[in-house]
Amino acid sequence: MSSSHGTVKALQMLRRLPRIKLNNLISIPGSTKKSQRGRGIHGGKDHGWGTKGPKHHNRHVPAGYEGGEMTPYFLRYPVQKWAKERYDISYVPLTLQSLQLMVDTGRLDVSVPIDVTQLYNTGLLRIDSRLEHGGVMLEEKGMDCFCTPMNLEVQYASEAAIAAVEKAGGTITTAYYDPYSLTAALKPVEFFKKGQVIPRRFLPPQRHIEYYSDPRNRGYLADPALIEEQRLLLSQKYGYVLPDLEKSLMKELLFQRKDPRQVFYGLEPGWIVNLADKVILKPTDPQLKEYYSS
Amino acid sequence: MISRSLLCLRITPSILRSFSTSQTHQNFKSGISLDKLYSSPLQSTDVKPTIPSNETAFGGYIPLDEVDISYMRSSGPGGQHVNKVNTKVDVRFLLKDAKWLPESMKENIMKKHSHMVTPSGYIIVRSDKTRTQQLNLADALDKLRAQLYSTVERPPVRPDHYTIEVHRRRAEKATRERLREKRIKSDVRQFRGAQ
Repeated sequence: MSSSHGTVKALQMLRRLPRIKLNNLISIPGSTKKSQRGRGIHGGKDHGWGTKGPKHHNRHVPAGYEGGEMTPYFLRYPVQKWAKERYDISYVPLTLQSLQLMVDTGRLDVSVPIDVTQLYNTGLLRIDSRLEHGGVMLEEKGMDCFCTPMNLEVQYASEAAIAAVEKAGGTITTAYYDPYSLTAALKPVEFFKKGQVIPRRFLPPQRHIEYYSDPRNRGYLADPALIEEQRLLLSQKYGYVLPDLEKSLMKELLFQRKDPRQVFYGLEPGWIVNLADKVILKPTDPQLKEYYSS
Repeated sequence: MISRSLLCLRITPSILRSFSTSQTHQNFKSGISLDKLYSSPLQSTDVKPTIPSNETAFGGYIPLDEVDISYMRSSGPGGQHVNKVNTKVDVRFLLKDAKWLPESMKENIMKKHSHMVTPSGYIIVRSDKTRTQQLNLADALDKLRAQLYSTVERPPVRPDHYTIEVHRRRAEKATRERLREKRIKSDVRQFRGAQ
């Protein structure tokens, strides 16, 4: 055989063979060894299956199985529709029915912007950031009888609930509070008594930024221009004439919004509220000022 | 989710709403306030989204004050609740008096889709799908919009060259396979019987 015969053959093969892809790769024959059931002496007796138990008795055991007494860990907790992970934030439900009842019985003052602070201070909601509560979610039960115009800020709202609030002549925003800011917002007086600095509210975690930037959810990070468009679309979908907020008597109230970094209306992050001396202490250091206003 | 018929609502919003905070509350603006995130300028004149006119073609907008909406009790099981609560929704309007529909569309409906119109000239849509009045209203309007859109004639979609070629190749391959199977079967049959 000439020395070039192999080369020529190889080149000819190369011309006709397909490209190397994942589906036509194999290991060098003889390099891998198939594992088999051990037959006899040291592979013998239990043959790799241990003593008794479902595996030894040839009963399929699903992954995560805990023996049957306990529900598997990954199945114990419900998954909510906004959840991107199994153990995501949970929200305390608030129906439109209970909201209307609070207003009618005088437990909620509608002449101020209603945020999670106001709702918690009615005493009718149990919100605790230690229980992974992110805040309040608005549900549509009672949407037929909801008729109060208000400036509402919640942490999650269904589409029908948003429609009901806007139909009544109010505005609704969904805003995120990180656990520390939420604790401060729920019990402001206790927080001020501790003498702690008003925190700069964190942005939502990456998986929830999309929700809060979406005008359909009236997110606090969404473009106000697109929110207007969505208001009109929603009014067409749910069948009501969109109230003109410009001509409303509550115009100034309805357009009040918190800055994305703000926890309390009228107070900036970085301030310390001294209730005893009735003073507000503001930072003077330029670095601190820059941090709190960023 | 907003249904497909609603997404066809052609709006041209020139939208600038100023979220002006009132004088009593301080105007705290952090690094991520809305005016820094979005370039829409906060001007004094607020312009609302313009409501589309349905003069030339139906854009999906239904003016709700020009349509009669009435509520009544729903049918079906439900005990005291279904007997007392008006959850069924009836949406109707007189077709010839509807100024919000283009004339061409009205003529088209009377000519080709006259089954939609009652003898007295009304278009009626009803819904008692859900337990809530408001959701039933949404359903009724959705149905009405879809009904009106279905009368709009769209030109037939002709497939492009690529699609035609793909279909031709598929048909050819199917024929080839069929003939191959036929030949194989024929061979099998031939070898049966006396050798």
